Amino acid sequence: MNVIRGFATTLKYLFQQPATIQYPDEERPPRERYKGRHALKRYDNGLEKCIGCSLCAAACPADAIWVEAAENTDEERYSPGERYAKTYEINMLRCIFCGYCEDACPTEAIVLEHEHRLSFTNRRDAIYTKAELLDPPPAGLEGTPRQTEPGVYTRSIPEMKNPA
Amino acid sequence: MTTTVTIHIDGVPYAVPDGMNLVDAARIYAGVEIPIFCYHPKMKPVGMCRMCLVDLGFEVRDRATGELALNPDGTPQVRWGRKLETGCTTTVRAGMYVRTRTEQVQEARRDVLEFLLSSHPLDCPVCDKGGECPLQNLTMRHGPGTSRMAYDDKLHLDKHVPLGDLIYLDRERCIQCARCVRFQDEVVGDDVLAFHERGRRLQIITTSTPGFDTYFSGNTTDICPVGALTTADFRFGARPWELTNVPSISPHGPVGENIALSMRLDRDSGGVQVIKRVIPRQNEDVNEIWISDKTRFGHHFTLSPDRLREALARKRGELTPVALDDALKAAAKALKEAGNSVGFIGGPMTSNEDFFALRELAAHVGSRKLGLWPATLGDAAPAAEVGIASGSRLTELGKGDAVLVVASDLEEEAPIWFLQAKQAADRGAALIVANLRETKLDRYASRTVRYGLGGAVGFLDGAASDETLAQAANLVVFVGNEGLGADEHGVLLRAAANLLITTGHAGRRNNGLIPVWPGANTQGGFDLGFESAATRAMLQSAPDVLIVVGADVAETPAGAAALDAAKFVIALSLFPDATTAKADVVLPIQSFAERDGTFTNAMRRVQRFYTAQGPVGESLPAWQVIGLLGQRLGMDRPRRSAALVMKALAESVKLYAGMSYPALAEAAVQTPPIGISPGFYGGTAAAPTGGTGLQWPSKAESRAKLSVTPVEAPQAVHAGAGELVIVPLRRLYDRAPEFFASAVMHGRIPQPFVALHPSDAARLGAVDGGRVKLSAGGASLDVTAVVDATAPEGLALLPQRLAPGAFPQEPVAGRVEPVAEAVAAD
Repeated sequence: MNVIRGFATTLKYLFQQPATIQYPDEERPPRERYKGRHALKRYDNGLEKCIGCSLCAAACPADAIWVEAAENTDEERYSPGERYAKTYEINMLRCIFCGYCEDACPTEAIVLEHEHRLSFTNRRDAIYTKAELLDPPPAGLEGTPRQTEPGVYTRSIPEMKNPA
Repeated sequence: MTTTVTIHIDGVPYAVPDGMNLVDAARIYAGVEIPIFCYHPKMKPVGMCRMCLVDLGFEVRDRATGELALNPDGTPQVRWGRKLETGCTTTVRAGMYVRTRTEQVQEARRDVLEFLLSSHPLDCPVCDKGGECPLQNLTMRHGPGTSRMAYDDKLHLDKHVPLGDLIYLDRERCIQCARCVRFQDEVVGDDVLAFHERGRRLQIITTSTPGFDTYFSGNTTDICPVGALTTADFRFGARPWELTNVPSISPHGPVGENIALSMRLDRDSGGVQVIKRVIPRQNEDVNEIWISDKTRFGHHFTLSPDRLREALARKRGELTPVALDDALKAAAKALKEAGNSVGFIGGPMTSNEDFFALRELAAHVGSRKLGLWPATLGDAAPAAEVGIASGSRLTELGKGDAVLVVASDLEEEAPIWFLQAKQAADRGAALIVANLRETKLDRYASRTVRYGLGGAVGFLDGAASDETLAQAANLVVFVGNEGLGADEHGVLLRAAANLLITTGHAGRRNNGLIPVWPGANTQGGFDLGFESAATRAMLQSAPDVLIVVGADVAETPAGAAALDAAKFVIALSLFPDATTAKADVVLPIQSFAERDGTFTNAMRRVQRFYTAQGPVGESLPAWQVIGLLGQRLGMDRPRRSAALVMKALAESVKLYAGMSYPALAEAAVQTPPIGISPGFYGGTAAAPTGGTGLQWPSKAESRAKLSVTPVEAPQAVHAGAGELVIVPLRRLYDRAPEFFASAVMHGRIPQPFVALHPSDAARLGAVDGGRVKLSAGGASLDVTAVVDATAPEGLALLPQRLAPGAFPQEPVAGRVEPVAEAVAAD
């Protein structure tokens, strides 16, 4: 009797959709809060959000982030404030995807996105540079650096919202 | 001695010196931190920021009997003030009660901080001060947890105001503590900063042209309790927590300022450690917490692209890069052929270890020609006899004491001593400045003495009868060599020693002679047996082989001639210069930042500097290069480390007995503790880690019998008909590669010039700003004439190392001729 019940279960699943997904031919959308590869964000006007403050590097428990800052000028502007990240590198072999950098960021410039397909064939390639991390400018807008009107960007940190 | 009184802080009795500042007393004796912004222990209290409010009370005494009024439980009654009082403007006295933790005090602190933050931008993530900022720290400790301010209501002011080439002002961040204004006014005396406007529009402005015209501007960024003042050099260079501070000693000048090199990895430099900034390191015996802008910004030479990176040797008349081994082989071959006809010349940045290695090599080849550069100095024997006594502090000089400055422009030659002499005068010490021209220190002098060329010795010889000097409780004599020939400098130093012996000041603490030497380790060179006189002898008759270490001998015509006359020249150098161009073998050496070593300052304090960054190219420490050379001549292998060189040095040089690296690394307790690690007074001065150095005692301190040697002034230089005496001056900002590599300073370095008296200029037909040609002793320079009424008549004052080309470094009679300006063709 039990044998028949057992085979019945097998037969039932034979006609059902399998739970397995045929990755990489097929992909499941990641969870909303999934922490994948970092991206450096831009404002709607195309300027970079990152101000090169290095707080992400300070928060990083794996010492994976390296930031060097420099000063913006109106002739060569990267971010709205006084300062931008001249060098921004994350070593993906060191990164533990904890998201502390995201928490530490005062301008919400670094976000752990959903990209998870990180592969490299040597250790040096594991270091993602600013060019790789930075989001492309919004469609139709110029990237950075760009020339801006003097007197527009006079704050050292761009506009901040009052805490709710 | 001050008397001790008992005060109660938060209910606990403490014995503190009467009259001490309450903030300091609480910090040092009770370990209680009364928060401060505007107060700084090196300046007078002003009570501007109101952060140090405390509850003050006094014990109650019965008026009739004078007895203490007691509570029923037997404790003394205390009458508390109705309002809070500022701690920084209060001095302690007997019967004082202080409460620093009451709800009222805490509320006051919260309110002061909230008010300060109402206009302070939230720049912390981009601010250079963020992470070592007193406002940040005190807000975390005492401030309100949340803000009642809307960001939109914040006052927006200019964020990027250059106060001169070196310092930027962020007007929003300023909390109006006036530390910078007071520093310039009280400590430096260059009153170039001021408050402008009132109320919310109050701002710092500079009143000088060019802006912020002082040699000490960087110190204001150290003491600024917020990020309002930042340096152009370090701007956005790194966050403070990413920096490693390596203790070091300034390679510029004789003061031996204690510094810390803030190191960080740098992508642009190939991912190696580089100096991001230089900050002072507290040493109350030397530079307190101040450094000159030359020391702060003059570090870029260490990574200059012009540095020598490989050994060079002459092949078919051309200097060509060769392997270090081949260069050493060629040098050793020349040395073997020369026998004992070998001369050694050590320059101003040569460390004690390097001098010692040279000395050992000299002993091995049997040469006694140990020379020191520059060749224009007298000898150090007077300084060894009556040099300023060990443990002396210029900061302790005050009323009843006297400071005598002869033949030196302290501001240009040793800026920190300028500060200290000026402040001693402010405290009431008699400051007598004797020179052949007006110098800036004259402003603060109680008396200035003007003598003619060759008159310095005569003045100093007769100074013993001067009542101010003879009766001074303490007497410090600074002797420079401005306007002096080498012989005259030696005689002048001897005359200064005579003065100190005659007036009975020799050998006592806070008394003695300070020779204002030109280099960071000129004193060390003298201590190890190197003499300026020996260099002069070598310039007269050059030895077969000349080994030059870190000295641009070709900067004088005599030096250049000697290099030509020597059969073989081995130059150890940081940079290719006129000397290496004449050398047969050039060996690259490491700068102070790349190696361990010691410098002896002109107060005979031996101080250690540490390795901060990696070597440049194939360069090695000079002692190692010399050791490798010696090995090829049959000496033992070079020692494995600078520490072992110093150990051998301490064993063989009596003055340096016991000065091992561990002993030199011991740090004396600093009072008040201003350095970063206690962190209480705010500001970016490093704590005295790495050692505060050791001084060797002068002969006078050992109660040795000293005798006065009569002196006679040598014949002064006379100008013939149609000639002027060209007097070389030392200027702080020059065009030597060790300083000119700092591009940030270029705006402050003058064009080559010569200062002429108006009547001389008129006679010669030179106009202010016109070109003139100086010629003397077969050398000539093309410089700009500056007509200056303060220049003495008959003299042409020529700052050294501004114009390219060799020129004598002693006063010399020469011609000054206007050059017809070539009209630029359109």
